[in-house]
Amino acid sequence: MKKHLGTALLGLVMSTSVCLAQDDLLNEGLPTRELTLATFKGTRIVNMHTIENPGKRSLEFVIQHRFGDVSQGAYQGFGIDGGATIRLGLQYSFDGRLAFGLGRSSYQKMLDGFVKYRVLRQTTDNHMPISLTWVSGIYYNGQKDSKFNDYSAAARVSYCHQLLIARKINERLSVQLAPTLVHYNLVDSLNDRNTGFVMAFMGRYKINKRTALTGEYGYRATRIFASAGYYDSFALGLDIETGGHVFQMHFTNSAGIAEPQFFAQTNTTWKNARTWGVRLGFNVSRLFHI
Amino acid sequence: MRRILFLLLFSPFVLHAQVWKNKEKMGKIHFFSSTPMENIEAKSQTVSSILNSKTDSVLFLVVVSSFEFPNALMQEHFNENYMESNVYPKAMFRGKMKEDIDFTKDGEYTCTAAGNLTLHGISKPYSVTGKFTVKGGEVHLVAKFNIKLADHDVKVPKLVTEKIAQEIATDVDVTYAPYVKK
Repeated sequence: MKKHLGTALLGLVMSTSVCLAQDDLLNEGLPTRELTLATFKGTRIVNMHTIENPGKRSLEFVIQHRFGDVSQGAYQGFGIDGGATIRLGLQYSFDGRLAFGLGRSSYQKMLDGFVKYRVLRQTTDNHMPISLTWVSGIYYNGQKDSKFNDYSAAARVSYCHQLLIARKINERLSVQLAPTLVHYNLVDSLNDRNTGFVMAFMGRYKINKRTALTGEYGYRATRIFASAGYYDSFALGLDIETGGHVFQMHFTNSAGIAEPQFFAQTNTTWKNARTWGVRLGFNVSRLFHI
Repeated sequence: MRRILFLLLFSPFVLHAQVWKNKEKMGKIHFFSSTPMENIEAKSQTVSSILNSKTDSVLFLVVVSSFEFPNALMQEHFNENYMESNVYPKAMFRGKMKEDIDFTKDGEYTCTAAGNLTLHGISKPYSVTGKFTVKGGEVHLVAKFNIKLADHDVKVPKLVTEKIAQEIATDVDVTYAPYVKK
């Protein structure tokens, strides 16, 4: 009998293994890994690009607005009354990986265009632990300025190339590192360099499903403009998602909204002994499905 | 001899003709949310399904993040805010067919399966009626049922309650072939 019991047990074990085999069979043919979604809510933190692109066949329209610096005081509504800069931008992606963008900002009457491609995407099983996006932009300074008089139009052009490396660490926290190269065809003085290297750091912390705290900092490892009075760009913000919109409110010390401007030409500091060089700003983005 | 008999008794050997699996890309799940404000629909073909005529069981598995919406933003909201597909990546139905169907004989059969649907991490009993069409060694299934979001603790914020139906009309469409071990 004991012998038979053993055989029966063996049979039972085999029948449970059949059950398990059934689940294996069910999983057969299904993908084993998935892409990590929504590392950041928007395509930008404040000024700086995130690894995100608009989704498939999506057109993103963005209004980026920065008021004057808060040191203007109560009479000027702490900067809200004057000295504002604005960028209007469009960005389109057909497949969710490759995106093209165009924009114009009021500061230096800057026209910009960029190409952005999601090279690597983080997967939930950490087979790919990071997301990597490449972005290159070209900028045309349209401002009337005597310094351009002796040169061709090419002197007005500057460039910015970035590798964006991000990881969604958990549901709340995402971080990004961005080695950045900025190049000006024409600089102001002999002591200036044409090309500078910036290391940018960005992060997002979700407070709840629809709001998040964000931050960005661009450390100028090599400085393009040698004269004093330029600072690293630093911003803190709040992302609020409302259906088809992402609303971003923030404080930044950069007046310019195009990459070469805020990476290399930020000319106010957050706070020093005398003044607050920080300004209130917001981005509103709206996605259209086309 | 008795030993072999015992083994046969206790281990339901999977004979090929007893197990049907969906043919590659031949499993579809589609859902539709209808409100006066907005209609939303999505479909997935990342579906796996098994029929077992010996145990009368029917199984469905779908990768939640594989549902494709016409609008990429909706898809992100579906995964991130509603289904939390990073936490609950798969939805599953395990049911028993009430009727005994001979899947080797051509014909149309109406069948009810009772079982549990696990969605958003929460299992609820469902009874789903579908129609099998057997033809030329293939089995085709269509079935429709409704999913109540509240049953599975899928929370819809007040702001968008008018745009998302409380009950989601779901339909499945699968073509099965006898499973042959690869």
